[in-house]
Order: sequence, then structure tokens, then C-alpha cells
Amino acid sequence: MEGINHKMITVNGINMHIAEMGEGPIVLLLHGFPELWYSWRHQILFLAAHGYRVIAPDLRGYGDTTGAPLHDPTKFTTLHVVGDLVALIDAIGADKVFVVGHDWGAIIAWKLCLFRPDKVKALVNLSVHFSPRNPHLKVVESFRAMYGDDHYICRFQEPGEIEAVFANIGTKQVLKKFLTHCDPDAFYFPKDDPFGDKYKSPVTLPSWLTEEDIDYFARKFEQTGFSGGVNYYRCLDLDWELEAPWTNAKVNVPVKFVVGDLDLVYNIPHAKEYIHNGGFHKYVPLLEEVVVIEGAAHFITQEVPDEVNKHIFDFLQKF
Amino acid sequence: MESVMKTSDLNHHRIKTNGIHIHVAEKQGQGPFVLLLHGFPETWVSWHHQIHDLANHGYHVVAPDLRGYGDSDSPPSPSSYTMFHIVADLIGLLDHFNQQKVFVVGHDWGATAAWHLSLFRPDRVKGMVAMCVPFFPRDPYIKPTLFFKQSFGDDLYINQFQEAGRAERSFAKYDHLTVIKKFLLINQTDVLIAPRGMEIIDDMEIPSQLPPWITEQELQIYADKFQQSGFTGGLNYYRTMDLTWELLAPWQGSKITVPSKFIIGDKDIGYKSFSKPYIEGNVMKTLVPDIEVVILEGHHFIQQEKPKQVSDEIISFIQKLVLD
Repeated sequence: MEGINHKMITVNGINMHIAEMGEGPIVLLLHGFPELWYSWRHQILFLAAHGYRVIAPDLRGYGDTTGAPLHDPTKFTTLHVVGDLVALIDAIGADKVFVVGHDWGAIIAWKLCLFRPDKVKALVNLSVHFSPRNPHLKVVESFRAMYGDDHYICRFQEPGEIEAVFANIGTKQVLKKFLTHCDPDAFYFPKDDPFGDKYKSPVTLPSWLTEEDIDYFARKFEQTGFSGGVNYYRCLDLDWELEAPWTNAKVNVPVKFVVGDLDLVYNIPHAKEYIHNGGFHKYVPLLEEVVVIEGAAHFITQEVPDEVNKHIFDFLQKF
Repeated sequence: MESVMKTSDLNHHRIKTNGIHIHVAEKQGQGPFVLLLHGFPETWVSWHHQIHDLANHGYHVVAPDLRGYGDSDSPPSPSSYTMFHIVADLIGLLDHFNQQKVFVVGHDWGATAAWHLSLFRPDRVKGMVAMCVPFFPRDPYIKPTLFFKQSFGDDLYINQFQEAGRAERSFAKYDHLTVIKKFLLINQTDVLIAPRGMEIIDDMEIPSQLPPWITEQELQIYADKFQQSGFTGGLNYYRTMDLTWELLAPWQGSKITVPSKFIIGDKDIGYKSFSKPYIEGNVMKTLVPDIEVVILEGHHFIQQEKPKQVSDEIISFIQKLVLD
């Protein structure tokens, strides 16, 4: 990836790896699970070529970012991760930045807007809509009630368990299965399939994902393992407890939301009504645009990069 | 004081908020709404003068027993006492009373709670008065107990309070009234550091005579409450300072944008020897741009020692903002 500079910056007690390119207003790109800065490779090149300084970190627990205790899930709360990003914004000398988030990166971006709206000029969020906190129901319980015990979020909870399943499936195969998931249905890891045999079937890579791409991801995840990323899920209920002060708080930052119509998150029961019928706008009053990309699934930064590039650029241009 | 305790125009409620029950004393009025937050080792009763004075101006006053105190719930684990938990309790109270934006007055740990309510949810705070505990900048590298250890050693009261059970055991050598007197009647002005090998409670003296601003009966009211609740709830706030600090990383460098007033007694513990330069300096003004600082003559438990002056300062602060 020519022209992309790689740096290590100490932030909030960890050593964060960032990929950086271009000059101009700063755009922070936040990846999800199980991904890396690399998921933004198309957006980095495009936005840098169009007058932006793009920064894509490996988030806490991922890739070449080090220093977070992978065996202590309690160090992966949204407060930790947003803390890392606030320190990053300060370290690069910025006051207010553009943010683009995808998957867990989108969740982190929502929280950054709740906690430090003074740091965000505008947000383009991909795939994961803002969900108001339910003070009467914890997060994992809500997924268990909706989807049952084999749902990936439930299966991710017990430290070590899913790591063992992933080890059985094999790192590269896990990544292939995740990144090519174009099913509107969720991931399940049935307990009666402890070796994850259902995930061992061969994967034909789509045109937008090469063996080299997979090799890059696999190399990094073989180094770190998956615990870092999975720990974010293990903090869902702790996050819920700590974020109680923001019950019913609104996101007061200009937002554009982009999602594929086959995205498993978009297809969560009642999500579409919430997104299109006013609920989303109630909690994000400055939600300016909602875009649904037909035929696209969850990993849209890689699946339909040109469209995503254009949607980001068109929105950031307005500020 | 008994009139405040028994008076029929004070309502008492146990309100479900943030997964626990918080007891509040309420004096209704047409408004504005003022939340009064006590510190350690106190209860809502510390505000009995202010409740009376503010209510005379028609204010709607609510004084909770904070989590861990009095007739409110005391969850067992220290990690349930972060500022995130406390602030969420207060948000729940505001929602219960249907108050979108309120005035908040906090003393000691209650001041810390008020600062963090203003930091997290400035949209819910019209103005705040902090008493005795200023808003300090967060050090990005050094957690609080380490800072205190480096500055004041292991026998600073805050560091002695860290270990679960230790302070409780040292307090248990005395009856509850004596413990309460040792704190509420503090008249030493230097930072509370015990001599090596001594527990802080053993080093705290009770004056031979009660000062004019409090009676034996009033002190007994606190003692009785702490006999019921124990001190662990209140001590857990200290035990969670490092965890709160860690979780505050997103607010590194963040300012308090809410209009603020800071009140402290000139004989408060550590004022002259430690915090005075900070309170008078530029760092605090930069962190809290809209702040008015008032130094009164008095010690730590200032709202009880100088009740009329404190009430007047609160009222003038609120009146000015209401008229703006």
C-alpha cells in the first residue's frame, strides 16, 4: 500500500498503530470485528487523494496495537477505547475531527459522540445504528432472548471458549467465513458443534477479497489471537452499567448512516422500523441522511468500496 | 434541627433509580429545582439549614442519601461506586422528578459527583455549586492513589482508606458517635496524614467543647444512621478512585462548561498548605471557564458551620442565573 505511513503512538497507556495518509482535515476511520486498519484500504487511498488526512488505527486489542491486557476483558470497555481515541486526537494535535466507523468502530463512534461531542465535526457511520440504552434490560440478555444461547454474542461471553472454537476452525478460515458472510441472518456457534465444523466448509472468495487480503488479516490475527476483539463483546454488559448516565441522551453531531440491505445488523428484528420510521432520528436529531445499499452485506468498506468512498466524501464535503 | 427531621412538609421517598433505591428528602416548591449532594461521612441531613433557606425562596429542593449512605442502598462491591454509577443514580432521580435541567449543589464527595454530572451531562445542569472539593485536571499517566502516595505518603487518609476493611476495623474501636465527632468537628487545617504506624482515626482529636454550630443530638442523628448503614458504602467511593480515573480517559482535557461556583472555608483541611494555589491559579479557571470562587471563614463541614452564608451564596448564584 504505497504512500500509506505507519506509526506507533502511545495513547492512554497502550501503543497504538495507525495507518496515515494525505493532508487536510482529519478523518478518523474506526474498524470493527474481526478487522483491522486494512479494512479501510480503499477509503484511505480515495480520501487522501481527495484532500483529507486519513488516520486508520488498529483499535485496542487488534493488529499491531499493543499494550492492552488481552486476558482482562474489563480493559476493553467503550470507555477505554474512546479514551484511546481522545488521546490519539490530542496526540495528532487535532481539535475536532471527522469520524467514520464500521461495526464495533461505529459503536465506538456513537459513544465518542455521546461523551465528547466537542471532538467530532461530523460522523459517517456504517452498518450499526445507534441503539438507545434500555435501562431495564442488559444487552447480552436481550440478544439471548431474541436469538438464543448459540448466537455469537452469547457464545463470545465466556473467556477462552470461542477462542478454542476459532483455534479448531483455523484463523484463516475464521476470517474467510466472517468477511464473506453475506447472510442477513446472524452468526451462530452451536454448543453441540464445539469444533465449529459447520465453519470448515471451503470458501470461494468474492471478487472484492483476494488471497493476499486474507493473508494480511490472517498474519495479524495469528499474532494477536482473537481475544482482543472478542473482549469488546465481553464488556457489553459492563458498558451498559457504566453508560447509565447517558440513558436517553442524544447524539448531537451531524450524521450520515450507510448500511447494506443484507447486513445482519440491519436485519435484526425491528431495526428497519427504528431506522426509517423516526426512532433513529429521535436519538440522533442531526441525522441528515440514511443510505441503504442494495445487495450489499456487512463488510461494505471492502465489498462496495467505491460507493462507500463516494458516500463518505459527499457528506464530509458539506462541512 | 428536629423540626426539619419531623416536619410534615418534608417528603421522604425511596426512589428506584439505576437499579438501586435511593432515599431522598424533598421540600416542594414552585422552583427552581435544586439537588443537594452530601459528602463523607454525612447524609442528606447535612443540608437541613439549606433545605429550609432555599425552600423559603420557593425552591424545589431534593437532598438524597447518596448510594452507600443512610437509607439508600449500599451495593457490596467497591466497583459499584464509580462516578459513572453515582451520576447515573442522579440522572434517574432527575427523570423521576421530571426535571430536564436542574441546579446542583455538592459538598465533599457530593461536589465530586456534581462535577462529574456536569462533565457527563451538561445538558441536565443549569448551574452547579461545589463546596470544598475543586475540579482537578486528570493526569493522563498517574492514577490518583499513586499521585497521593507520591505527594503525601502511604498514611494520607485516602491511601489508608484503600484496603477493604481496614478503615472499618480502625473505626470499630470507637462508638459511632465518637467516629462522627472525629470527622465533623475537625479543626486541623493541614492535610490529613496519620503518623507512621497509626490509623488516621486514632490521630483525630475531638475538641473538648462542641462548636456552637452543632449539637450533641444532631451528631447522634448521624451516628445512628451510620450504625445502621456502616461506613463501607462511603469508604467505597475512595476505593474506586483509581477505577473511576481509568474510565475517565475520554474526558482527558475536557472542560466543565456549566456555570459554576466554588466555595471553601479558609481553614478547610489542606486548603492553605495544598489546594489554595490551585484554587487561585489559572489551571482551574481554564478547566472551568465559568467559575466564581468564594472563600469563607470556616472548616470542612462548611454548610453546617456557616449555614446562612452558604445558603446566601447558593441563592445569589441561582438567582443570577435564573434572571439571565
